[in-house]
Amino acid sequence: MTSFKAARCPNIVSPKSGEITVDYRKLVEFIPVAKREMLSDKLVDFILTSKNDEKMPGQLANTILHYWQQDVLESESGLATLLEAALLLEPERTLGVFAELEMANIAEQIKASLPS
Amino acid sequence: MVKFGIEFVPREPFWKIIYYTIQAERGGFSNLWVTDHFNNRNVYVTLSTAAIYTNKITFGSGVTNPYMVNPVFTAQAIATLNELAPGRVVLGIGAGDKTTLESVGMEMQRPLVAVQEAVEIFRKITSGENVVYKGEVFKTAGAKFLFKPKGKIPVYVGAQGPKMLELAGKIGDGVLINACHPKDVEYAVNCVKEGVSAAGKKFNEVDVAAYTSFSVHEDIKKANKAAVPVVSFIVAGSPPQLLERHGIEVKKAEEIKEALKANDWGRAFGGVTPEMISAFSVCGTPDMCIERIAELLKSGISQFVVGSPIGANVREAINLISEKIIPHFQKA
Repeated sequence: MTSFKAARCPNIVSPKSGEITVDYRKLVEFIPVAKREMLSDKLVDFILTSKNDEKMPGQLANTILHYWQQDVLESESGLATLLEAALLLEPERTLGVFAELEMANIAEQIKASLPS
Repeated sequence: MVKFGIEFVPREPFWKIIYYTIQAERGGFSNLWVTDHFNNRNVYVTLSTAAIYTNKITFGSGVTNPYMVNPVFTAQAIATLNELAPGRVVLGIGAGDKTTLESVGMEMQRPLVAVQEAVEIFRKITSGENVVYKGEVFKTAGAKFLFKPKGKIPVYVGAQGPKMLELAGKIGDGVLINACHPKDVEYAVNCVKEGVSAAGKKFNEVDVAAYTSFSVHEDIKKANKAAVPVVSFIVAGSPPQLLERHGIEVKKAEEIKEALKANDWGRAFGGVTPEMISAFSVCGTPDMCIERIAELLKSGISQFVVGSPIGANVREAINLISEKIIPHFQKA
């Protein structure tokens, strides 16, 4: 697998708005499998304890619940939705956890990709 | 074997409550109760979402009241839910919260009669009857659903005072006792038993639940800290006889009440003593909670409901209950 350090952060440019968004699914591919369970656990905690509830889009919330119902929040798709939600609700804490789990390079790449 | 229920307040967004509900179902809880206050999110929308994301937990309002919504509409909501999750739905109904009712200009008129009549109307209309009812509080002149309700839906009556507890035992398929301390629960269960026997039923035919304010954490200080705000409101709303039964000075409760009215949280929460926490919550480490639940079970309750705040971190608390507390009672 290509190391994330060597690759560019996987962004998508919307053909309609021209807006740059992070491709979370591709991003998750760069997260070592061994660290996904721990990361998933921390992201769930950030989301559930966040005071920024109003930032959670209903559709994204339903997608997370769907993955939780199937008990697959640690899968690539599950983790991608958690990451998207966590970055919306708790960006600082989310970026911090990548450093804590020794994935600071990924945090830096996400930071550079997020809209300022 | 005792069943475990869990209560959520839909002040939280639906996705948090549903996340916890899925977790609770997986962790061995058998009942979900969602509170009904107009100033929070809607109880039936929350329960509908819970129905979609779960497949075995039983759920219901914990509790609605007959004043804010006419009983035929409550019956309509519950009967529709029972189509979404057949056999998993119950109605929880009580007299309501006086302060909340007054805030929308409603008077808690004749609570015993209102609850009894509401339950009668609920049962008639959900069994498909054309209801002509001439009660003292409610009247219907031929109310019938244009759809066929499915099956008999159990009714749980929420109660605190002796007369409502007795009525709950008499008319309820279940009773939700609003108490946490063994002395209070034992007293309440005896009142329920009077109603049960007056109705010619057997006590074990009624699911009697202790509906508690609960807080668990491995660190007792954190468990207490989470319980304090809830306990302060309970103390402020408790009648003098109840406070005296637990050796709590009425004057101290009045001080907390005044502080809460003034939104002086520091003074209100600072006034909560360990005695108050013990009287009005089940709080502590998992072992301490097990000890308290075991004491409560001696009174004959068949369901233990963990209510707000549940813990300093709800997700961690549900895990603790599922991994340490429920298995203890399953083994027993």
